[in-house]
Amino acid sequence: MATPVTSMDKPVAAKSGPASDARPPRAPRPPRPNFRQIHQFPLPVNVHHVPSVIPHNPLSLISVALSYLTFLISPPRQEVYSAYFDKATSSIHVTDERSIKALWQMGFFGKGSLSRSEPSWLAREKKRRGLHDGKTSEEITRLRRTERRELKLERARMEKLAIEERLKAEAAARESGASEPLDQDAQSTTDDTTNVTATATEKFSLKKAREARALEARQARELAAQNAALGEQNQTETSNGKSVRFSPVVQKKEFPSTSPSSLQLPDAVVDSPDLDDFPNEEHLQLSNEEAFFLGYSLGALQIYDAPLKSGEVQATSPITTSALLQQFCNHSFQPARDSSASLQPDDPFMISYTVYHHFRSLGWVIRSGVKFGTDYLLYNRGPVFSHAEFAVIIIPSYSHPYWSETEERKNYTAEKQARSWWWMHCVSRVQAQVLKSLVVCYVEVPPPAASIDDIGALFGQYKVREFLIKRWIPNRTRD
Amino acid sequence: MADVDEDAIKAPANASTEPDVDLSDETQDFRFLNHLNFFADASPGIPRRGEKDFEPNPTELQADVLSASRGAMHNALSYPRLHNTKTRVVAFYAPDGYVPPVKTDRATPKTGGEDEKSSESTPKPPRPLPNSARISPDACVYVPNPKGQFFKTMGQADSLSRVWLLPEEALYLIERGNGLAHLGPPAGPGEEDLSVPMSLQAAYACFMGHGGLTLERYSVYTGLKRLGYALLRAPGWCDDLVKEDADASYATETTPPTLHGPGLAGILGSLFNWIHDPRSTASTATGPIIGTGIHRNYMDIYRKLAIIPWYDPITAPERHPADTTPPFRVVFHVFKPSTPFKKSAPPTPDFRVAVVSTRDQTTMPTMTQLGALLESTPLDPPARGENGPLRHGYRNVVMAVVDQGVVSYLRVADSAFGKEKLYENKGGPQGPKWNRNQKPRKR
Repeated sequence: MATPVTSMDKPVAAKSGPASDARPPRAPRPPRPNFRQIHQFPLPVNVHHVPSVIPHNPLSLISVALSYLTFLISPPRQEVYSAYFDKATSSIHVTDERSIKALWQMGFFGKGSLSRSEPSWLAREKKRRGLHDGKTSEEITRLRRTERRELKLERARMEKLAIEERLKAEAAARESGASEPLDQDAQSTTDDTTNVTATATEKFSLKKAREARALEARQARELAAQNAALGEQNQTETSNGKSVRFSPVVQKKEFPSTSPSSLQLPDAVVDSPDLDDFPNEEHLQLSNEEAFFLGYSLGALQIYDAPLKSGEVQATSPITTSALLQQFCNHSFQPARDSSASLQPDDPFMISYTVYHHFRSLGWVIRSGVKFGTDYLLYNRGPVFSHAEFAVIIIPSYSHPYWSETEERKNYTAEKQARSWWWMHCVSRVQAQVLKSLVVCYVEVPPPAASIDDIGALFGQYKVREFLIKRWIPNRTRD
Repeated sequence: MADVDEDAIKAPANASTEPDVDLSDETQDFRFLNHLNFFADASPGIPRRGEKDFEPNPTELQADVLSASRGAMHNALSYPRLHNTKTRVVAFYAPDGYVPPVKTDRATPKTGGEDEKSSESTPKPPRPLPNSARISPDACVYVPNPKGQFFKTMGQADSLSRVWLLPEEALYLIERGNGLAHLGPPAGPGEEDLSVPMSLQAAYACFMGHGGLTLERYSVYTGLKRLGYALLRAPGWCDDLVKEDADASYATETTPPTLHGPGLAGILGSLFNWIHDPRSTASTATGPIIGTGIHRNYMDIYRKLAIIPWYDPITAPERHPADTTPPFRVVFHVFKPSTPFKKSAPPTPDFRVAVVSTRDQTTMPTMTQLGALLESTPLDPPARGENGPLRHGYRNVVMAVVDQGVVSYLRVADSAFGKEKLYENKGGPQGPKWNRNQKPRKR
């Protein structure tokens, strides 16, 4: 019964195609925000297109001149956001709500301090207080996990039942005195594999458990339908029930689950509406690389030493770029290096920023890969559009002759470059499991620079080389 | 499976040595073995495996299934493995390597011409092949009467049509039970045969370490060979490889890092750009790199951001294998089973394999080592319009990492992200859509 619904459902989803179409493929699914519109700017920098000149159309010249005049008279201001450096966590905090929104929407910078990635605490909190409906991604994940856990429990219960039944049958066979049936059974196991696996090893896969539950739910619903008309509900739930495919890869799928049981959230208690405005407890947390990119490369972020009080706006001046670089380099160690120490070319921050800047400048959205045991993840356009395609690990390389001049330096660099094969296999197997391609990014470290005044020249001495490392399975490449 | 296929063609009666099914490392349900027909000359297909139990339970059924599986395994193993005298290949061990026969007129080996290529492909060459120049000095076993499939991809024939085998080739044949090496010279006409057949242990003792053959290399060789690949030694086999001549084509000098800087702006654009030109305020010294002012489009911003030099595999010079450091050096050229293979004129290898022992080389290669390894392979750029140019890479090599006999293969490719400018993609990135009908990927 459920199958035709699914097959009908598929073309709908296929037709909706690009992310711009916000039409929900299923009734209970809330309309997806138009991500293409929200995240239309890849960087938090304003761009003003000049109308193109069409030679045979004199009017186009006028429009160009007009826009040019407009820019001359009132030049559009580039928005500069402000943030402060938090020494305790060695990260950059953005507390201004507008800045948070802008930095997230234009280029996916930072993460919400109370959220998985997008700062959504306020929305969740409003939802919890019943002021707002719609789902945040955290809730969707939670619902999905709840349902999955329940199904696993169900499967375990079914398996246990099957074993008990089998035990009972065996005991009954033994009591009946005739050991022959059992022997025959054993005989059949030796002889006929397919038969045995089909009948005796009665396992309950998750799918079966799901189907059993869907059946139960349907029966319950049909009972209820006699009292009240719930046809539409029935339809939606059936389609939902089928869309859940419990293959081993199911947990990688992002979909909102709307099974009847998990819909009943325990905390759906409506508070009094006068709690409407409560402060947003969440701030945006930028990594040092992100902050330095926004400040140094784009000029879109000013970083202060301490949080700004609400009253004072320009009490202290922002940290200068070179001081910022020095500070980030010192804080790339745990605990932070003494602030008087001089900057080394192989400071972790120098290397990680080189990689960060390299991929950002190519148009990738680069975010921390700590969840997958790597240094970075590369998103094409952004995490709301697609899953990360590449996972990057960084290894410094000391191929410059300076690093092999003395024995001491040789030992030092050998230790810095060493990565064991076991570590490599760990990383590569994990990435294969989460369907990402592993990129080993070697950064050539230059000899120490005389001065750090010219940051551009400093980073220009580094060189990046990417290797894609993938497990090769000879069995699969035979033809 | 490869063996099953090969043997099915060649000698169905001999095909019982191993049911080479793609089994993973776990404990198996071996009952499927009962249904394997070792004598079937048709390809049997991969047998179905039973369902797996994750934990023991007290049912007798499970115990029965387990013992049945065990019985099936023992049954399969107890099958008598016989050598068919018809297909047996007799070889002789010559520890001194190939010695050109003195009794023939043509003692000096002639370089291989065009005419013998055609006769090369037949397993039993009717006349002497003067291509002994290709016989490796490491070859230490010869087969006077070569017959069978194996000699299509293994060994080199001399002028007496004896096929000389490299140690790994000989060991592979002996281990498979297809060949039998004898110690000592063959009996001449009228003499009594005094040669002694070599045991497998003796073969290992004689061949391992001979001519650079290590256990790691042999594991890789035999593993790939059993899957049906053809393998040839690559020039990098010898650790003491030297550059024959300072060839001009192998420039070792590295080019200075090229900065792939901003492109040309339109003429009209530059005309209007003088007001609020972000370039005038742009500074890479203290930032902002892109400057403050009016930006026309994101393409220009990204072009200005490109300050980090990156390695370009196209402009990088190709290097000689001698420039590589020994464990990270191509030692095998591997050819797919489907690649038409000719011993006299091997095609371009499908894969190049470097063998690394984790006990000798405990760490991953440094960039210099890995770079030299890749640069010693020819450029293999992704095809135009290929779906994943980054995943294919510009050069590639397979590293076989052998840890105490366990081989893991890693394909390393030069991917050059800098050559694929994502921001130039029209209409935004084309990555996998947020679509549940597509292949799931974890966020």
